[in-house]
Amino acid sequence: MADSLSLLRGTLDILVLKALSWEPMHGFEITSWLEQRSDGDLAIDDGALYHALHRMEERDWIASEWRLTENNRRARYYKLRPAGKKHLTGEAVALRRYAKMLTAILDAKTA
Amino acid sequence: MAPRRRAFRLSLRKPEVTREELDEELAFHVEERTRSLVARGLTNEHAQSEALRKLGGSVHEVSERLQSSAEQKEKRIDMRERIQDLLDDVRYALRGLARRPAFCAIAVVTLALGIGANAAIFSAVDALLLRALPFPRGDRLMDVVLLSPNEGANPWSWPKFRVFRDAQRSYQSLALYTVRQSTLTGLDPERITAEEVSATYLNTLGVRPSVGADFAPAIDAGPNARKVALISDALWQRRFNAEPNVIGQSISVNSYSYEIIGVLPPAFHGLSGNAELWIPIMARDADSVNEVWSLEFSLIGRLRDGVSVAQARSEATLLGPRVYRATPVDAGTITTARTTEWSAAANALEAIRVAPKLRQSLLVLFGAVAMLLLIACVNLANLLLGRAATRRQEIAIRLAIGAARKRVVRLLLTESALLAFFGGLASVIVAWIGTRILSTMNPRETLSAQGFAGGIGAVSFDTIQLDSRALLFTFGITVLVACVFGLVPALQATNAELTGALKDDGSTNRIRGHSNLGVSRRSLAVLQVSLAIVLLVGSGLMLRSLSNLMSIDAGFDSTNILTLRLNVPPGVVAPDSMPGFYEELTRRLRAVAGVREVALADCAPVSNACNGTIMQFADRPASATGNAMVGAHWVTPEWFSTLRIPIKKGRAFNSFDRLGGEKVVLVNEAAVRAYFNGEEPIGKMVKVYQGGFNTGARVVGVVSDVRFGTIDSTARPDVYISYAQSRVSRMIIFVRTSSSNPMSVAPVIRQAIKEFAPRDPVYDIRSFADRVGASSAQARFSTTLLALFALVALALAIMGIYGVLSFAVVQRTREIGIRMALGANRSSVLGMVLREGSILAAFGVMLGVPAAFAVSRVLNASLFNVSTSDPATYIAIVLLVSAAALIASWLPARAAVRVDPIIALRRS
Repeated sequence: MADSLSLLRGTLDILVLKALSWEPMHGFEITSWLEQRSDGDLAIDDGALYHALHRMEERDWIASEWRLTENNRRARYYKLRPAGKKHLTGEAVALRRYAKMLTAILDAKTA
Repeated sequence: MAPRRRAFRLSLRKPEVTREELDEELAFHVEERTRSLVARGLTNEHAQSEALRKLGGSVHEVSERLQSSAEQKEKRIDMRERIQDLLDDVRYALRGLARRPAFCAIAVVTLALGIGANAAIFSAVDALLLRALPFPRGDRLMDVVLLSPNEGANPWSWPKFRVFRDAQRSYQSLALYTVRQSTLTGLDPERITAEEVSATYLNTLGVRPSVGADFAPAIDAGPNARKVALISDALWQRRFNAEPNVIGQSISVNSYSYEIIGVLPPAFHGLSGNAELWIPIMARDADSVNEVWSLEFSLIGRLRDGVSVAQARSEATLLGPRVYRATPVDAGTITTARTTEWSAAANALEAIRVAPKLRQSLLVLFGAVAMLLLIACVNLANLLLGRAATRRQEIAIRLAIGAARKRVVRLLLTESALLAFFGGLASVIVAWIGTRILSTMNPRETLSAQGFAGGIGAVSFDTIQLDSRALLFTFGITVLVACVFGLVPALQATNAELTGALKDDGSTNRIRGHSNLGVSRRSLAVLQVSLAIVLLVGSGLMLRSLSNLMSIDAGFDSTNILTLRLNVPPGVVAPDSMPGFYEELTRRLRAVAGVREVALADCAPVSNACNGTIMQFADRPASATGNAMVGAHWVTPEWFSTLRIPIKKGRAFNSFDRLGGEKVVLVNEAAVRAYFNGEEPIGKMVKVYQGGFNTGARVVGVVSDVRFGTIDSTARPDVYISYAQSRVSRMIIFVRTSSSNPMSVAPVIRQAIKEFAPRDPVYDIRSFADRVGASSAQARFSTTLLALFALVALALAIMGIYGVLSFAVVQRTREIGIRMALGANRSSVLGMVLREGSILAAFGVMLGVPAAFAVSRVLNASLFNVSTSDPATYIAIVLLVSAAALIASWLPARAAVRVDPIIALRRS
């Protein structure tokens, strides 16, 4: 996927936390949600996604439970925990500032 | 991120469940993705493979990957926490130890001595008994000896060797060698050790010259071979500046010129261990190599592939008599009652590397030093128990607030491990000093004078060093020691009654917790006493044996006598003028101020390095079996009076016994007893197969016995020949001086010899008493070490008893106070404590004496005229230990008597 964007280190955590801030989701829902929001520009390695999910669960940013889907399938749903929410808020501010700064520099018209 | 520590280590889920869940989660993911792709119009297979590609592998693979990365992380955290725990323990233990510097110092010094002594003795055992021989495939080398019916092992003559060599099938190569002290003559003369060898010598040992070539096999074909020589690397460096063109140069040895054909590798010093020159035996003339009874060469062989040591041994037994029958004494005139034939025996060089006696005394020392270490450990365990007892409250609190017993044990173990570690570190110094002493203590001739000559020189004391093996050994015992003396107290201390310890007021729980610790402390003290008794009995027996050795009358008076050797290289003095040379030499030395008497002999008493041969009687029938073996000694007429050796019958040599006159000999009383069957010895004609006396000589006198072998062996039959009637170049000069310090005349004597015989090297200048002392050096050394170990053991045992009792007194202060308040008098309190000490000592004796009885049997071979059950020794040791126990109990008893009832009662 040559023209999809790869992620900066630590960014995947934020994106996943953002997705979960809407509602509890299972892994595939998270991927689909992120792909839709990025208009297909974002390629997430599925293995990396689960790795991130488990890591964040261990850090108590998110929690998981087994529930049934609309189609009556067993799936593991993840939901945001207060610590995760706090991390998301803090990091989102920092990332936005970072993006703004990058844009400002890259778009500069005068030397 | 700083290393994170978890406050609790509760695993959230079991790993197996995680694994299943993970598989399920991923499988669900793949299904969902496949479904969504199919919904977008892909075929089922296409969608599935695309889903797996996005996952990055099969469900199983990815799950595995995630799982293992999680596990690794878990392990990393675990390891970090363990190290952190350990560091905490170490820090805690260090703080604890630093608060008690005296305790630490005692513990570390005790361990340093114990472990260091073990490492040093181990180095000796390793170098002398364990390490591989310094030759390639040394385990395939054999030593072959001739066995005579009444003399034991004998070397070979060339003709006998030839018979054996041609008949045997076990060896791929056989070689003869003998060690010869030689002089490099010419400018700057130097004494070196040379080996006379057969041409097969290096090949048999598996060594090749590093420069030049080996001896050609053809050399062994017959006598008068070309005089060629191989030299050691050291000699090459020293005298030839390591020049490659040394090959073909000549070197002058004992006034003969040899052509150098090769240089040996630096590490090679021959079987003698210190040879610098190798020359062929066959460079000699025909007379000396063809003499059947000139038994002077050692025989070694390299086993053929596939031949076992056992096979070679039985072959030697078989061939021995054949060798003997093929080379009988010329006329076959034999005299003794013994009729057994001579035989031969082969032994692995590995097995005979050191003399059995030396092996024995090394192992005894090793055992003793191990026992000493055990006592040191017991002592430390005892100290730690005492310490644990005073810390019981602390430990109980730790246990009560939830510390795992394992954790507390580990804490206590860390403390002992630290002590062991410091002890081990300090022990390296002790071991280093010990190995230095050991490596310098035993020159070869001293060993041989003590009957330790059985081994090969290449395995000698100077190879003892503190190497990596010894250090590894030291490390091993340090770890062992830490476990032995650390674990017991740690387990004991944490076992104490919990609640009792918590409300400890110094007495209420005495019944349980204290008695628990007290019993183990008491048993440790008893163990110490019994171990000390074993060591004390052993060293006591050795001391008795040594005093017996020292009081032996070896048959001569060695006081005020200076001895020195003079080497007269062949060719310096014409053979026929040798008797004149001896006479003139003694005459000149006698004229030196401070000199009373001067005499020469070819070999010193109690040197165990003298020459022997067979003797026959002219008036007895010939027989092919049994031989009268005698020691053959050259002396000047004054030798007997100089050494105060009485003439028992007949006369000594006099000035009429000279070349051309009738050949006369003296015999000793042992020879008369053994061989003369009650006949009158004076006037008898005998043939002595040395110095040209095999043509017959008349016995003119009988002298009293002198011990020429080891000091603890009785005198053997000897024959004396006069220097005036037979020439021999080796000599020891005996100078009786008027001063009680014979060494004081050494410089003038040396000067006088230099004026008379400037080209003959003088060496080995020592007082005769010193030489005689060397014959019991090893016994003295072993005994001193053993006695030292035993004294340390006794001191530790005293400390043990003292520690237990004084602790008990402190613990029972209140009880003692009550007793005294109720009217107990001082003497009954004193008696109470002393009684406890005596009970400990009594148990120690009860255990120790039988143990000593059993263990000291290993000393049997090292003891001289002492039985291992010598009652006097046992009684003395029991008395000594009892007295020591009494002293150890006295101080705590005094402390108990000084208890003030009022203060003791108020304290609670």
